[in-house]
Amino acid sequence: MIEILSVTGPASVQDLGRFDQYRFGVGTSGAMDDVALRAGNILLGNDENAAGIEIPMLPFKLRFDRNMAFALTGADVEAEISGRVIPPWWRSRARTGDVLTIKAMPRGARLYLTVGGGIDVPMVLGSRSTQFRGEFGGWHGRPLQVGDILPCAASTATIGELGVEPAEITLARPNTAADETIVRVVIAGEYDGFDAATQALFWSSSWKITPQSNRYGYRLQGPAVKPKAPIEKRSHGIVPGVIQIPPNGQPIIQMRDAQTSGGYPKIATVIGADLWRVGQARLGSRLRFEQTAYTDALAAEAEMSAYLDRLRTNVRLVEETRICRSS
Amino acid sequence: MPIKLTDIARLAQILEKSGVDTIEIEEPGQSLKLVVDTGPRMAASAAPAAPAAPAAPAIDHSVIAKADVAGHFLAAHPWRDQPFVAQGQRIEAGTTVGLVKIGLLYAPIVAPAAGTVDAVIAETGATVGYGTPIVRIRPLS
Repeated sequence: MIEILSVTGPASVQDLGRFDQYRFGVGTSGAMDDVALRAGNILLGNDENAAGIEIPMLPFKLRFDRNMAFALTGADVEAEISGRVIPPWWRSRARTGDVLTIKAMPRGARLYLTVGGGIDVPMVLGSRSTQFRGEFGGWHGRPLQVGDILPCAASTATIGELGVEPAEITLARPNTAADETIVRVVIAGEYDGFDAATQALFWSSSWKITPQSNRYGYRLQGPAVKPKAPIEKRSHGIVPGVIQIPPNGQPIIQMRDAQTSGGYPKIATVIGADLWRVGQARLGSRLRFEQTAYTDALAAEAEMSAYLDRLRTNVRLVEETRICRSS
Repeated sequence: MPIKLTDIARLAQILEKSGVDTIEIEEPGQSLKLVVDTGPRMAASAAPAAPAAPAAPAIDHSVIAKADVAGHFLAAHPWRDQPFVAQGQRIEAGTTVGLVKIGLLYAPIVAPAAGTVDAVIAETGATVGYGTPIVRIRPLS
């Protein structure tokens, strides 16, 4: 078990998401940075869909009530456990009573704490993710609070300290400036409802991520992007990544806790392989959109899968080497 | 279990690929030492390390933090400007003094004893192997 000693903002239990209930209007939820959650679980020898804790704000502090392995992935982190410094993208071991303190996140927006065996909350509608909107899943369907004691599944893996190259390094994009995230998008249904000058404005602008951005969606600020004529549509199915243009011309990117339907015109959609980059973009920082063809979106997906495949192979290899040496 | 010829061939391949020149395996009743001829590489990596090492004192009590896996040495985490340890720094046993990068992984190199960092011997990016000295530590008392 782990006990939350200090928490700020909506930290929550998340796995990869709830994917089978969309037709009933239940959104996916799930980790905003799914690559980081997978990497943590791979490091620990967990099922990659095991639930972890998504930490968006600091300070955060918790106590381990038994010996267990844990990993920190996602945002860069300054963390300490019983006086020991934990580097970013790292797995380590905690002893009973150890207190883990997250002191700073120098880059990125969300940190993932995974534990050996995973956070053992009940599956609800096929997932352990917290559904904020519906107030179910995760830990009692709500953000974590001080005093919460989360059950952890048993894990038999014996594990030493080990780090992983952060996905942001391995999957680095060219021409990325500090404090600006470039995400690849494919154009969406109502793109042609905007004239050429407005489309160009959408591509060339550096969009500021406003404080009204969270797991539901990111509200961006920049020049007004408005269609040639107002577009009135009935509510229709939308997915995380869809970029809508409401009447004020300020884009909204739908994220993991988005509704399953909406009526605003859609100008573009962030490709699946870059959604985690949006999830790690900080409030107040900037986003730029790069138009991508569908085939390139698939290639990006393959590149991400290759990173995870390599990670799985590397971890297995190092584990085997250690077992050989100690036997 | 006896070491099979196929195991030796596989180990030799791994050595060659990883750029490590020697491996020794000792088990009750048997020992194996494999040496790969990496002459030019040895000369290249030995040269820069030599000037960094000051003259050894008459009686050398220093302890050495060594790599325990083959890969490339990193003095700092890629997201950090500061190295894990610097000369003169006081450290505890178990302190991480650097990383070995193996593919996508970072294996920590830990201090075997508490003391003061005398010198970081290995250069960032250098190919290291099992037992390569990384940091010299002057132990307490």
